[in-house]
Amino acid sequence: MKLLELNKVNVYSKNNHRLKNINLTIGSGEKVALLGNSGSGKSTLISIINGSLLPSSGKVFFKDLEIKNLSPRSLTKIATIWQDLRLIEDLNVLQNINVGALGHHSLYWSILNLIGLTDNKKSLNCLNAVKLPINLYKKQVRSLSGGQKQRIAIARMLRQQGDLLLADEPISNLDPYLANAMIKLLLGLEYPQSIEVPDTILMSIHRPELISNFTRVIGLKAGEIIIDLTSNKLREQDIRLLYSNP
Amino acid sequence: MKKIYLSSPILCLLPALAIIPVLTNLILNIHLGGVYLLLDFLKSAITPSTDKLVILSAIKGLGITATIAISSWAISSFTGIIIGIISSNKFWIFLKGPSWLGKSIRRLLAFPRSIHELIWGLLLQSTLGLSPLVAIIAIVIPYSALVARVVADQIDTIDDRSLIALIQAGTKPINALITSIGPAILPTIISYIGYRLECSLRAATILGIFGMGGIGSELELSLRSLEFNEMWTSLWLLIFSIFAIEELLDRFRLWLFTKSSSGRRIIISLILVIIITIMSIILLYIQNQGLFLDIRWNTVKLTDIQKLLIAFNELDWLNLYADTLIMTLLAAGIAIGIPPLTLLILPAEIGGKFLTIIWTFFRAMPIPLTALILLLFTTPSIYVATLALAVQNIGVLGRLLKEGIEQQKNELFHSVTSTGAKMRSAWLYSRLYSESKSYLGFAAYRTDVLLRETAVVGVVGGAGLGWQLQESLSSFDWAQVILIISGYSTLTLIGEAISEYSNNNWINSSNSTPSHHSLQY
Repeated sequence: MKLLELNKVNVYSKNNHRLKNINLTIGSGEKVALLGNSGSGKSTLISIINGSLLPSSGKVFFKDLEIKNLSPRSLTKIATIWQDLRLIEDLNVLQNINVGALGHHSLYWSILNLIGLTDNKKSLNCLNAVKLPINLYKKQVRSLSGGQKQRIAIARMLRQQGDLLLADEPISNLDPYLANAMIKLLLGLEYPQSIEVPDTILMSIHRPELISNFTRVIGLKAGEIIIDLTSNKLREQDIRLLYSNP
Repeated sequence: MKKIYLSSPILCLLPALAIIPVLTNLILNIHLGGVYLLLDFLKSAITPSTDKLVILSAIKGLGITATIAISSWAISSFTGIIIGIISSNKFWIFLKGPSWLGKSIRRLLAFPRSIHELIWGLLLQSTLGLSPLVAIIAIVIPYSALVARVVADQIDTIDDRSLIALIQAGTKPINALITSIGPAILPTIISYIGYRLECSLRAATILGIFGMGGIGSELELSLRSLEFNEMWTSLWLLIFSIFAIEELLDRFRLWLFTKSSSGRRIIISLILVIIITIMSIILLYIQNQGLFLDIRWNTVKLTDIQKLLIAFNELDWLNLYADTLIMTLLAAGIAIGIPPLTLLILPAEIGGKFLTIIWTFFRAMPIPLTALILLLFTTPSIYVATLALAVQNIGVLGRLLKEGIEQQKNELFHSVTSTGAKMRSAWLYSRLYSESKSYLGFAAYRTDVLLRETAVVGVVGGAGLGWQLQESLSSFDWAQVILIISGYSTLTLIGEAISEYSNNNWINSSNSTPSHHSLQY
């Protein structure tokens, strides 16, 4: 079943053509790795899909509805892990994880979360799933390390309970052991019963050795899709072409 | 039991609760006859008097207020810069002179700064009589000290390594000073001085309400005689003038600082300021031929220790201080909490535009005039005084918050909205969150200003030290006057120290450096 569709999408900024005529369809349940060197347009593509950036031309559809017309309720189904994390540094760990659930609740609940009076069971499960010690939950995010912050961003995404996960280099600050564990969690290969993991994934990564965990690979170069293959068909020369200088 | 955690957006919203006791008390004290008067007053807003004589009188009044404001602003800016330079530590270090001299001048300046211009006005009025010149002097005294403080702070906090490098390279000291320190501090100082023009206009209006001429006197007279249509003619004129000045100053700042030719533009501005000042003093002289002649020197008998002791025992210090502090805290609560609360309730674009208009109106309303309007339908109390104080400050803090939010980047907002959060929740977690710490820092400074301003409403609302001062001045009880002014000064200096500490605390924790923007409020 088709979950996401991009139709002739172009993005221009100043004198830069950041995305060039992107046509892309992602089906429900697909695990897609997004490859490309820095500046190739991966983050722009993710921002276009989650609706935080509007295309200069072309259309983006999520579950057959154009993304710019989606209600906040429908937007909860698209969860994003941002490259720059975008955590709220002065709030504590649990309050930040709860931000993922804002779309499911009222303004009253939002205010309760700012005072620290919400029910935190689900958020504690998410914290546990990203292998962060439970005693960290009251800590202000500002005081944590880069790797810990990255895992809180993952936990916040889990708390959102979306259908589609957009992840922009979600393991860049993690050591190999944790990176592996988080990839397994995000891809739904190993995760605790108490949480839900999005079924469909588009993840930007810089680690070709992890590609085998995905079902499909998309390669972006200078704003254009130059590779779109099932992961088992990806060859060494494809990767070299993708990361070579233009 | 769960521990309550007060995050900074909540700390911005929570003070709004202060509106509950204030409104409850006002509503309980409403008298019905006054409600008709209020309705009449509101109706007159859309039917201001178009009588030629009324309009001419309002324009003349505005002219006097504007000339008082410009003259006092120019004189206080000039003297403020000079005193600021000589009260800075770096100046004395640079001259290899005694550093205690700068510190001593600074300490001395704390006194004139801590007394509101209205108090200076009332004091001078008792000795020199009613005259626009008295209004000018009353504004110049505290404003010079305020400008001096900012100038000295700017000089002392500047990184002087480039200055040392220039001097070591053999540059003449004066050239080195102009080259290294000038460009670094001038933008902030010019921006701050520009803002003081707005303050001077408000101060000149308030002094007018207390009889020192200009549009304030027009407003007060027409309100007291219940000629609301005439009052609205003057009030609309004042509102448009303040709005025009705010706009002009915003554009001026942009013009001055966004181009590379700032140096030349600063010189052009200085020449313009000098011309405007000379013109305004000439105009003031023409408008009031007796500007300097009307001055009468009433002798003030300095009081002795015995009289001071008697006066000290006569005054109900506890109540006077308590009323002043309650007014300050409640007004600060309303002024701090209402802008974010209204923006939260009305975050849409239409709500934002509506609030911009309301806040402009609030900023332009002179505090004593708001108090007098409230007194049309309710009885004098500290709650009337509190609300009058809060209204103008809602306008000031609302503008500050909105401008801060409009300058934000969108990353956090997009991140929260992309989770499907509803607009109000997203606004709370991104827009208000990002602005909350600097807003609280400025709010702390504003509370300090509010404490000073209680003098203005105390006189009208019949409460606090301001009211007692007016009473003592009316009965020429100089012993009481001296004690009350000392008490006021002590209170405002303590308030200043607390707000400075709290301001630094919030600003530092928000990782933002105080900008021109912050100094303006």
